[in-house]
Amino acid sequence: MADGSSTGPDAQVRALYEQAESRTAQAFEELVSKPSFGVMLARSAENVAAMARIGSDLGDLVLRNLRLAGRADVARLAQQLHRTEDKLERLLQEMEDLREELARGPSANGSPGAGIKTGRTRKRKTS
Amino acid sequence: MSAIETLAALPRATFEFANVILTTPDAPIGQTPREVVWTHRGTTLYRYRSSSRQHAIPVLLVFALINRPEIFDLRRGSSFVEFLLAEGFDVFLVDWGVPDEEDSEMGLAEFVCDELHWAVRETLRAADEEELTLLGWCIGGTLCAIYCALHPAEAVRNAVLLTTPIDPSSSLYAVWVGHDEFDVDLIAERYRAVPGSGIDFANKLMKPVANYAITYRRLFQTILDGKDARESYQAMAKWVADTPPFPSRAYREWVTWIYKENRLVAGRLRLRDERVDLARIEQNLLVVTASADHIAPPDGTVPLLDLVSSEDVTYFDRPGGHIGLMAGSKAKHEIWPELADWLCERSGR
Repeated sequence: MADGSSTGPDAQVRALYEQAESRTAQAFEELVSKPSFGVMLARSAENVAAMARIGSDLGDLVLRNLRLAGRADVARLAQQLHRTEDKLERLLQEMEDLREELARGPSANGSPGAGIKTGRTRKRKTS
Repeated sequence: MSAIETLAALPRATFEFANVILTTPDAPIGQTPREVVWTHRGTTLYRYRSSSRQHAIPVLLVFALINRPEIFDLRRGSSFVEFLLAEGFDVFLVDWGVPDEEDSEMGLAEFVCDELHWAVRETLRAADEEELTLLGWCIGGTLCAIYCALHPAEAVRNAVLLTTPIDPSSSLYAVWVGHDEFDVDLIAERYRAVPGSGIDFANKLMKPVANYAITYRRLFQTILDGKDARESYQAMAKWVADTPPFPSRAYREWVTWIYKENRLVAGRLRLRDERVDLARIEQNLLVVTASADHIAPPDGTVPLLDLVSSEDVTYFDRPGGHIGLMAGSKAKHEIWPELADWLCERSGR
């Protein structure tokens, strides 16, 4: 009976199903790897992006006319906060580097850790 | 199991299957205790402290800009972070956060020259060390390679690159986005943050039947056979579904520079006016590829081995997929110990 179950009808059905599944998977993988599928995917992505943007712009327009902040306003405000945070981060790093330099004294320099800090100081932006 | 027994088990299996699928978002992942070391914009640097630290050089984990870094710490008993801690490493992880439209100006230069550079600095400060190991996975590996090329003689002693796209010209992604018909500028202009769901859809479309049918059929079969697949399935499924948006500038640069123009290998990639020359990579280097990786196939990573100047270069090609190699059920007994051995030899003072 135990032997029968491994070669019985249900096992055969399962084996057949798995074989079909495997072949289907392979066929689909071949399909998606064709350049023409890539072109179709590109067009679909562009269409979806265009529709999403239209919907988003429309939503923002409605909110703006209602004198409510839309997503674009929130994003703009967050970008301003980010710029401030960038300046603070750079300022903080300058202060930390100076404090470390003071703690090390004027003669100490050249360690790998110091190198990374010097590189960053050179790239500091003021805007 | 006989046909009658199978039929009798069907209702229970169906309910169990539905429950597993529906409760996936509640699955706990990323459970290892950690502390915040530094934050900037959406980026957070975490530290996982080892109770038995044996190695001086800390390990900084860097994941891709798509999906979340919790894959390093998927679930208890199957967490790479947990494994590294048990091996005595001081572990840090940089989390890029969940970018949105306000992060649309974040490009590859911002991620490499600011966020990663500063995360390296803060890791060294927190660990009170002068060198570290950078371990990057997928796009995270590419960012680490770029970083090492820009800072060859600084803080990175060891670089570990896992399933990293370096020359993806022969990959399926290149077939999809590398041609002129794919207008990446249009996508980047219309989406200030390219939706993660779109990227997830594209990733799954690479193996459509496997991702949209076989995964669920196998889960159902496992449940029907009376085995417990809940924890392993839910942790991975939750991680896969968590795809943050890709900042549009970084997306545009990634697709254009890496897939359309292949600048990294050609030596034509420049970040903030500095050329990214992979030949400047001098760190101890470990490159790991997965033989069945369809996202970053080994052919797209191996060219790095001939480009770098490192004297200590190790290459592993192991069975597995892009994610399964490091997060699959066999990883704990196969690739993780190999990585730990390689790191142990190179992590002393």
